[in-house]
Amino acid sequence: MQLLNIFKSLDISHYIYLSTVLFSIGMFGVLFRRNAIVLLMCIELMLNAVNLLMVAFSEYMGDAQANGQMFVFFIMVVAAAEAAVGLAIIVMVYRNTRKTDVSFLDSLKD
Amino acid sequence: MIGVSIIFMGGILTLFLGLNKPEQWSKNTSALLLLLASASSWFEYKGILNFDLLFKWVPQQMLDISGTTEWMSALLLFLGFMIMNIMPSNDKKGADIPALMLFSLSGGILLMGAEHFVMLFLGLEILSIPLFVLAGSNKDNLNSNEAALKYFIMGAFSTAILLLGTAFIYGGTGTLNLNEIQLKLSFASHFGEFPILLKAGLILVSVGLLFKVSAVPFHFWSPDVYEGSPNRIAVFMAVIVKISGFYTLGNIFNSFAPMSAWSEQWILPILGITILGGNIMAIGQSKVKRMLAYSSISHAGYLLLFILIPFEENINVLATYSFSYGLGTISLFYLMDQYSREDKEFSMYTALFSKNKLHGFLLIIATLSIAGVPSTIGFIAKYQLFSSAFAYNQSAVLIALVGSAISIAYYFKPFKYAFDNSGFEKTDNSERFELNLNSVYLLILIVITVIIGIFPTILEYLL
Repeated sequence: MQLLNIFKSLDISHYIYLSTVLFSIGMFGVLFRRNAIVLLMCIELMLNAVNLLMVAFSEYMGDAQANGQMFVFFIMVVAAAEAAVGLAIIVMVYRNTRKTDVSFLDSLKD
Repeated sequence: MIGVSIIFMGGILTLFLGLNKPEQWSKNTSALLLLLASASSWFEYKGILNFDLLFKWVPQQMLDISGTTEWMSALLLFLGFMIMNIMPSNDKKGADIPALMLFSLSGGILLMGAEHFVMLFLGLEILSIPLFVLAGSNKDNLNSNEAALKYFIMGAFSTAILLLGTAFIYGGTGTLNLNEIQLKLSFASHFGEFPILLKAGLILVSVGLLFKVSAVPFHFWSPDVYEGSPNRIAVFMAVIVKISGFYTLGNIFNSFAPMSAWSEQWILPILGITILGGNIMAIGQSKVKRMLAYSSISHAGYLLLFILIPFEENINVLATYSFSYGLGTISLFYLMDQYSREDKEFSMYTALFSKNKLHGFLLIIATLSIAGVPSTIGFIAKYQLFSSAFAYNQSAVLIALVGSAISIAYYFKPFKYAFDNSGFEKTDNSERFELNLNSVYLLILIVITVIIGIFPTILEYLL
């Protein structure tokens, strides 16, 4: 019971902070990590942070049509499609270079 | 609405056709479907044909492809038709590339017609997910692999940023419908400041889309991706993604018009560095394809002017500019594709005139048009754009004019080689004009560019 009271005291701003932090972790991961599969995971993290925020806003505003919650399903489906294509690209790269490291991404330059 | 339905069905049909026939077959089928879709969209726009009965059951709140959006979809399909026809394909079995191009085009049309952020997101993803695959369609080439991975990471990253912005806007207004957002904002504008959530949301959504259309602080991926991906995919990205992306940006900023005084403050610097940066970086390029990539970045800067001016009143100007940009870019990419066998430097154009008169003529017309020299469609488009933007923001137009002047420096570089006949010996093959289907398409490109340039009133009939 004690635990449920904590949830009641949560404000919408807490959700905003949490998902912004999650999103930032994902963003810095994309910018600084070198492994393509970790990049994919970081992108998923960013999308899931958005999902959390969407659901929180939808609940907070009492949206009768639940627009935000409906949007989350679309994001999940598209994220799955994106992950499928992304993994296929990583496999294609692996076949040619035997690496999943993105540091090979420097042959195209000015 | 009819256009997107035809090409979506056509994409599935084309996939089946590729089971045991060479790519040439599916390419021709999809080109025919594109022409059919483009023509029927235009007829629907003109009110000559009416397909309302077919689409009665479509819910109207999310998607609105009518009016100028219908015209833009006809334009997008026409440009797709040109790309599909004139860019050469391989003779291998399979239909994946034409079919994916059709799916990507249908995504672009959905993106332009989006009235709701869910539809906008879906359209953007249907536009870009096939392009991730297409960029890597040259599977054994490491450059193509690199382009695909880079485009995928940047595309997914920018989508996530756009989605965070959407969530913030949803939190700020309580709705995801663009029309309702406009209504709510115009009420809220009477009560002073807009909430910080809404401002952050608008910035994030525009950053997400500016990534896609490669405006300057977010442009770094685009020359690499264009260079690595196959030529016909690169021109597809440069034309289709950019046109539909800018139409959508205009649509979004139209809904956020009550905030325009605030959004102008940060759109103006982006516009300035996009025009100047794109043009200045293009001068230093030694490879033709990278030069074209930077030229398309600078055109993104000119197109950003549309965000500063009222969207609905100037929508015809955007349509004209997209038309001229599409025609010029397709022509220049085609010539680059034809001559880039041995080297990718500007010297590939050596003695172009003696080799092929038609290609030489196309080079002149396309360059003049894309640089905005009078008597071409490019001049008409730029003139309309700058004169309509001048009433709202003089400094931005001044920057754009300086940018156009700089662009002459690199657009006319190929001429130096094209007229240079030293070291070229005439053979029997050269200078013979063959009237095949390909040269007919090139002639169409030339004729449209010149005729509209001389008689701009034709546009009033088209639009």
